[in-house]
Parts: sequence; structure tokens; C-alpha cells
Amino acid sequence: MRRLTVLYDPQCGLCCRVHAWLINQPKYVELAFVPVNSQEAHYVYPKLDHTLTLKDVTVIGDDGAVYWGAKAWLMCLWALRNYREWSFRLSSPELLPTARRVVSMISQNRHKLEGVGKLLLRDSG
Amino acid sequence: MDILVTAYLLYIAISVALTIWVAQTLFKNGRVFLVDVFHGNESLADSVNHLLVVGFYLVNLGYVSLALKLGYDVASTREAIEALSWKIGLVLLVLGGMHFFNLYIFSRMRRRSTLQDALPPVAPDEYTTVRGKESCAG
Repeated sequence: MRRLTVLYDPQCGLCCRVHAWLINQPKYVELAFVPVNSQEAHYVYPKLDHTLTLKDVTVIGDDGAVYWGAKAWLMCLWALRNYREWSFRLSSPELLPTARRVVSMISQNRHKLEGVGKLLLRDSG
Repeated sequence: MDILVTAYLLYIAISVALTIWVAQTLFKNGRVFLVDVFHGNESLADSVNHLLVVGFYLVNLGYVSLALKLGYDVASTREAIEALSWKIGLVLLVLGGMHFFNLYIFSRMRRRSTLQDALPPVAPDEYTTVRGKESCAG
């Protein structure tokens, strides 16, 4: 696999921050970012269930392999030079359920978390 | 000859011999690791191996040299042997520490190279059809 496409929500501040962080990391595998449910996403992945991609981050390989939620996060880590080891650590049977819970909690509350983040930044600034 | 000078000479002889022994062990056995790390590129492996061993010699002989001075007089052979034993013990500990540090470097390099070729950690949830090319690469 040489390239991974990340379907992300450009309306969510947390996702944009993660997007910006991912862009700047050294990589083993190229990462492309496509806004979720966009015309481009529908064009490139005509058979994908795009309502599911709205709920959680989705990563798709150049071979058409689809990864949802926690697996999608692990694939993002796997693409990065400095975090590939972590993707293996977190994918172990002991840690994957926890990773899944944390990721689903973050993605379901991403708009709330964004608000909290802004509040904290305002307080510290 | 003065007891202290004899102890110093013995200290130098033993420490240098120990350093050479450990460095040679590292040189001989580290090569296999490095050839694997560099995917069979033997000349690169030999070069890195040599550089690591030079660093190993410099650090150890530097320590041996700095730690030579005893700082007090020894009156008897017994005291000289005790002082020598203490000094050699320190040299051995430093050598051991350096040796493990080198092993750590070897294993880290090896892990890095195996990570580079590693397959994804998880199996995909499904496969979908991919059409055309995306435009906004990051």
C-alpha cells in the first residue's frame, strides 16, 4: 500500500487540527485528505456508504481497503514514521477495545470537545 | 618499582585488554545485525560497524584514562590490590553499560528497518471500488 485517503469532516475543529498535525509528520505512506460526503468522495468511492463516513473518520487504501473508526486512526499512525510502532502496540488484542472506546467517545463528542478546547485556550491566553 | 606505579601499569594493561576484548566481540557479532538492518548491503554494514566500534574504543579508553589516578598513597600490596580491584570493577561496569547501549542501538536500528516493511496492523473492515484520482493530497 502506497497511499491512504482520509475522509475527514472539515466542519470540525478537532479534525482540522489532527489534519494539520498529520500533514506535518514524516510518513512511510502518502496521506491524502478528502472532505467527508463531498462530491469528490462520492465520485472516487461510488459504492461506499457515505452516511457511515459522517459518523466517524474513515481511511481508504489505494487498493480499496476501508477502515472505520479506531482502525482508521491506527492506519493513520501506521502511515507515520514516528508512530508506526504505536499502531502495532495499540492494535494488540488487549489495547484495541480501549482504543475503540476512546476513539468513538472522541468522535461522537467532537463538537463538544472543540468547544472545551476553545474555552481552555481562552482561559490560558 | 613503586607499588602504586605497578598498580597503575597493571590497571592500564587489564583495562585496555578488557576494552579490546569487548570491542572485538561487539565487532564480530554486531555485523550480522547490521547486514540484516541494511538489507544485505555488506559494505554499508561494515562501515557502520567500524564507526560504532571506534566510538566504543574512544569512550572506554577515555574513561580508563580519566579514572587512572588513585588520589591516595598505597603502603602495602594488599591496599594496591584493593585499589586495583575497585578501579577494574568500575571499568567493567562502564564497559558493560556501553555494551548494552550498543546492543540497544543495534536492536533499535533493526526494529526501525523491520517497521519500514511492515504490513498494516489491522485488517480492513471492507473493500470498496476506487475510481479516478483524488486531487487534494496532503
